[in-house]
Amino acid sequence: MKYIKQVLGGDLRQYTMVLALGLLILIFNVISEGRMLTSSNFQNLLSGNAYVLVLALGMLMVIVIGQIDLSVGSVAGFAGMVMALVAKNYNVPWWGAVLIALAIGIAAGAWHGFFLSQLGIPGFITTLGGMMIFRGGVIWISRSISVPAPEELKWFGAGYLPEWGPAFTGMNNSTLLLGIIGIVAFAVAQLRKYNRSKNNAVDATPFWAVVVRIGLMTLLIGYFTYLFGSGRVGTSFPVPGLILLLLTIVYHIITQRTKFGRHVYAVGGNKAAAALSGVNVKKTYFLTMMNMSFLSAVAGILFVGRSTAAGPADGTSWEMDAIASVFIGGAAVSGGVGTILATIVGGMVMAVLNNGLMLMGVGADKTQVIKGFVLLAAVAFDVYNKKSGKSSIIGKLFSSKEEKKTA
Amino acid sequence: MRKRTLLSMAMVATMALATFTGCGGSREGASTTDTAADTATQTEEAASSESTSSLTGFEEGATIGVSLPWLGTQNWKEAEEMFTAQLEEAGYKPLVQAADNKVTQQQQQIESMIENGAKVIVVGPVDGSQLGSVLEQAKEAGVYVIGYDRLLENTTGVDGVVQFGSVKTGELQAEALLQGLEEKKGEAPYNIELFGGGPADPNAPNFFKGAMSVLQPKIDDGTLVVVSGQTDFTQCATVDWDNAKAQSRMDSLISGFYSDKEIDGVLSPNDGIARAIITSCENAGQEIPVVSGLDAENESVEWVWSGRQYSTVAKPTQDLVAKTIEIIDSLQAGNGMPATDVTANNGVIDVNIYELPPVVVTKDNAKSVFAGDPSRLELLK
Repeated sequence: MKYIKQVLGGDLRQYTMVLALGLLILIFNVISEGRMLTSSNFQNLLSGNAYVLVLALGMLMVIVIGQIDLSVGSVAGFAGMVMALVAKNYNVPWWGAVLIALAIGIAAGAWHGFFLSQLGIPGFITTLGGMMIFRGGVIWISRSISVPAPEELKWFGAGYLPEWGPAFTGMNNSTLLLGIIGIVAFAVAQLRKYNRSKNNAVDATPFWAVVVRIGLMTLLIGYFTYLFGSGRVGTSFPVPGLILLLLTIVYHIITQRTKFGRHVYAVGGNKAAAALSGVNVKKTYFLTMMNMSFLSAVAGILFVGRSTAAGPADGTSWEMDAIASVFIGGAAVSGGVGTILATIVGGMVMAVLNNGLMLMGVGADKTQVIKGFVLLAAVAFDVYNKKSGKSSIIGKLFSSKEEKKTA
Repeated sequence: MRKRTLLSMAMVATMALATFTGCGGSREGASTTDTAADTATQTEEAASSESTSSLTGFEEGATIGVSLPWLGTQNWKEAEEMFTAQLEEAGYKPLVQAADNKVTQQQQQIESMIENGAKVIVVGPVDGSQLGSVLEQAKEAGVYVIGYDRLLENTTGVDGVVQFGSVKTGELQAEALLQGLEEKKGEAPYNIELFGGGPADPNAPNFFKGAMSVLQPKIDDGTLVVVSGQTDFTQCATVDWDNAKAQSRMDSLISGFYSDKEIDGVLSPNDGIARAIITSCENAGQEIPVVSGLDAENESVEWVWSGRQYSTVAKPTQDLVAKTIEIIDSLQAGNGMPATDVTANNGVIDVNIYELPPVVVTKDNAKSVFAGDPSRLELLK
C-alpha cells in the first residue's frame, strides 16, 4: 500500500471522488451494455455539461470566500439573450456579439461586487436581487420569445476541432495532438517537480514512483484521446470541452499559484486574520464576484451555441447545479476549503449520473431524486470525516500501515 | 489487514483493466458518411413525396425514442402512456422520456436516445427553437426526427411535424366564444379580455392569430369591447403556460378595469388558464364569463358539463399518437415520410406538416365527442 501511496502522491482523500467517478462510469457502462464509454456519448457528455462546469469554476471561488451567487443562471441567460438580439437586430458580427455578452457579464459582476465589497451587503442578498433583475431583464428584452443565434456560435457550443494530416492515425489528429500535448506536459511537470524535490530530503519521491505515475497518466490520457478521437469522421474532442479544459487549467493556476488565489483562500478561511495580515478583503470580494459573472456569460454563450437560439427561460436553476458540483467536490459550506480540480470531478459525477440514468431510460423525476441523495451523501460523508478526524475510507485503507510503522 | 490490502489492490487492478478494455469503439469512417448521405437523399425524396421505391426501412422491433417536454399536464401524461403502450403493441421498443420542462435535459435525452440506437425520435419540444444542434446530430446519425404537437424551428434536423392545425384551433376557440356570448350574455356589446399561451411554444402565437382573425372584425364593429385595450400577443401572453401567472393577470385586470363593469367573455388558450380565469372571476365576485379552452382536460370537461366553463377544444391525444405511429410504420416499411400538402417554414427549411382537425366541445355536444373515450365519458354525469 505504501507504494501505491507513493505513486499517487500523499493526499489520498482527494482521490475518493475520482474513484467514485471511475466506478460510476464503469457501472453505467456495464448496465447500459457499453453505451456509456463510446466516443459520441463522451462528446455529448462534455458538450452538454460544459456550461455547468464553467459556472462551477467561478462558483468554487465564490464559495471559498464564504459567499454564494444565486444570479449566475439569470446572468448567463441575459448575456446570451443580448448576444442573440444584437446579432439579429443590429447586424453586429458574431464575434462582436460575443464580446458584448462577455462585457455584460463583467458589468453584472462588478454590480454584484460593488454591493458586496463596498456596502457590505451579503452576497446571498445581492445576488438574489441580481437573479430577479436579470431574469426579468431576459424576459423583458426578449418579449418571452426565443431568438435564433448566429450560425457561427454553434462552433462554441457544439463544434469539433478540424480534421487534418495523415489518415493512418485512425483518429482525429487535432484530438491526437491535444492528447500528446497533455501527456508531455504532465511528464515534464512531474520530472521538474522530481528534480526540485531531489534536493529536499524530507519528502523525496522515489524516481520509480514518478515513472509509474507518468505511465498511468499516459494510459489514462491516451485512452481518452482514443475515445474522443476515434468517433465518427468530423468529430473530435468537442470545442466546449476544450474551452472548459483551458479555463480549468487557468483557474487551477490562479487559485493555486497566484497571490490573488492565496488571498481568496485566506479571506475565506478567516476574514479578520486575512485583513490583519494585509490582504485587501474588499478587492478580493469584488474580483471574485466579477469573475463569477464573467464565467456566467461564458456559460451562456456556450449554451446558446449548442441550442442555436437564446430562450427566455435559459439559465433557470443553473446556479443550483453549479453549487451542487462545488459541494460534491468537497468544498466547505463555511468557506476557505475546496479546489478547482475537485469541483470539476464533482461536476462530472453529477453529469455522469445524469447521463447514465438517461441511457438507462430513467425519467427526469427519478433522476432528480437520485441526484438529491447523492449530493446529500457526498457532503454528509465529508462532514462526518472531518468531525471524526478520520480521512475517507480509502485514505484510511492506505494510511494505516504507514502509521503503524512510524509509531 | 493484509487481506484487505490485497482485496483493494485487486479492485484497483480490475478497474484499470476494465477501463482500458471497456470500449471497442473504432473509427466508423466511410460507412457512416454513406448512411448520412443516404438519409439525406431519403429525406429529400420524402420531401418531394414521390419516389417510394428506393427507400430502405429498418428492422421490426427497432428502438423508437419519444422525448416529451414534461408530464405536468394531462395531455402529455396521456401521450406518454399511449406511446409506451401503442409502440409496444406495434412491435417496437419504446423509449419514452420527459424533460421536466428543461431545454438542457431534453437535449441530453435526445442524445442518449441516439446513443441507444433509436431509428426514429419523436420530439415534443420544450422550446421548439432550442434543439437545433442536437437534432442535426440525430440526422447525421441517420435517425428520423418527427416533431410532435409543436413545430421544430431553426434546424434542418426535422423530417415532419404532426400537430393539430394551430391557427384553426384558434379560430375554433374564438367562434365558440362568440357563440357562447350570444347564447348566455344577451345583447351586444360584450366586454371581453384576451389571453395567449406561452410565447416559447410556437403554437401559442398561431392560436392567438387564428382567434384574432375571427375576433378582430367584431372588435372593429363594436360588438366586442376589450376593456383593458390589451390586444397585442405579447401583452396577453402567459409565460410558460403558467396558470398562476394567468390568474394574477386576470386578478389585476378585474381590479383595474372591471370595478364598475361586468366581464362577459374571456378568450383563453387552454383549459388550465381557463380555470384560472374562472377562479379569479369567482373570487372577485364577478358572474362567470364565457371562457374558451383547449385540451379537454378532465377537470375542464367536468366544468363544461356543469356549465362553469363554456367550451373547450379537444385535440384528442390518441389521434395525434395514432398519426405519429402511422408515420413510424411507413418509415419502418421503407416507404419514407407519407405525402402531405401542408408545409411550414421553420426559419431554415420548409417542414412537412401533418395536420389533424381539432374538435370544439360544449355542453351540448360533449356526449357525442367523447363517445369513444370511456374515461372522459365517465365525467359527464
